[in-house]
Amino acid sequence: MRRLHALRPVQVDERGQELVSFCGHCGQRPHPLATPRPSRVCGHCGLGLVLQTAAALAPRHDEPFLVVDTSLSVCAMSAAAEALFAIEETEAVNKHIADFLVPADANAPSAENLLTLLVDVASGSREACTAVVRPRQEYGVRFWARIGPCGSPRAALLVLS
Amino acid sequence: MMSVMRTLKTSEAAALLNVSPNTLRAWERRFGYPKPQRSAGQHRLYTHGEVAALRDALQQGLSISSAVSRAREALSTDTHTLVGALSGFELDRADTAMESALALRSVERAVEEVLLPSLDALGERCGIDSAPWAFAARWADGWLRRAQRLAPPPVRRSAILVGDATRNELDPDALAVRAFELFCGRSGVRVVALPVGGVSGLADVVTSLSPDAVVIAGGYHADDAVALWAYRVRVTAGALPTALFRGSPNAAPVRSTGARMLPPEPFSAHRQVLALIDDPHAAPVREVAPLRDGDRERREAQA
Repeated sequence: MRRLHALRPVQVDERGQELVSFCGHCGQRPHPLATPRPSRVCGHCGLGLVLQTAAALAPRHDEPFLVVDTSLSVCAMSAAAEALFAIEETEAVNKHIADFLVPADANAPSAENLLTLLVDVASGSREACTAVVRPRQEYGVRFWARIGPCGSPRAALLVLS
Repeated sequence: MMSVMRTLKTSEAAALLNVSPNTLRAWERRFGYPKPQRSAGQHRLYTHGEVAALRDALQQGLSISSAVSRAREALSTDTHTLVGALSGFELDRADTAMESALALRSVERAVEEVLLPSLDALGERCGIDSAPWAFAARWADGWLRRAQRLAPPPVRRSAILVGDATRNELDPDALAVRAFELFCGRSGVRVVALPVGGVSGLADVVTSLSPDAVVIAGGYHADDAVALWAYRVRVTAGALPTALFRGSPNAAPVRSTGARMLPPEPFSAHRQVLALIDDPHAAPVREVAPLRDGDRERREAQA
């Protein structure tokens, strides 16, 4: 019986990858054995909606992340990202992602691909990938970004580490 | 016929959104939405339309901020509809737009969030000397007066005398003054508005009304005419708390007369006047709220 208690249901996507839930504001993951909540609002902070993504991509609670839709507008910004960019989510929402992040090396062949990459991921025509980015107007600061799909509705999750 | 706006208590609104009342209050602090009114007992009252719009937006949203943004956008369609109806000279559609605005908001908020911004937008688009503006301003003036007639009878003993210093109903400030009168009337105060241009027989009206406060509203008439009117009121009723609403931007009579400058938004102004009646000795508000965009240009164009 004790072993049965250790079992937990795992949600997988169409490719069999494990999906995890996390709050779009605080990044906390709901306890896997917790009773599903009737609403998508995070039970920890109450200030974010619970989203799903692949386990390998999901942010840790202290990692800054943003959620971007196919029009490249910021749809969600974590509390850590708010501190990083010194802006509140309420002001950041609906702004273009390029107002916050740009490719780290403008001369690299992949530089122009960042926005294409995000659109492709958000529209579902591409899977998870990585990129090197930097905050706009900041030089010498670089982030390794994990980019992949999240939802719902489907969008691109960009986790900075 | 005005529809009755449906309101929800905090627990009811929280249940509709499947969140706790604490979460709802946290959203109010962080996002400013949903924005509750207060009941007579100072309890929060949420409009059903706002909460329902947010519930729908949350189902499709990626964050609460984006859901709030989407819900606000859904509510602002009333303004677009009203501007469209007035631009197309469609009175029935304009009335319907206000009806639907009233289904989601209180009369005060429908006026401040839909009617006045729509007229501002139309004034900016067509100019206040245009036929579309005249058409829209007359309709809005009629709507506000109709709403005033439908307001419940005065329940307070207080009365306010408004010295109307606007040109006529086509004056951009006139609608704000009508809205101010409407809000005061709906608060249970007796309001009588008289043009500052006429002083004949003024003493009889003032004696009969016995006002608790005087508000001089609008900036069209010359300071001399306003001063003469105010002097006649003072001679009859004695020194009363006096406030200026949407006065001339160049006039600075606040310190010399002790009159208060009210904020340009009718709702805030009416709240301050009620506070003035309740406590006439309270410190006057020194900070003068800025005029809305385009007010000064409109007045200059009007002059």
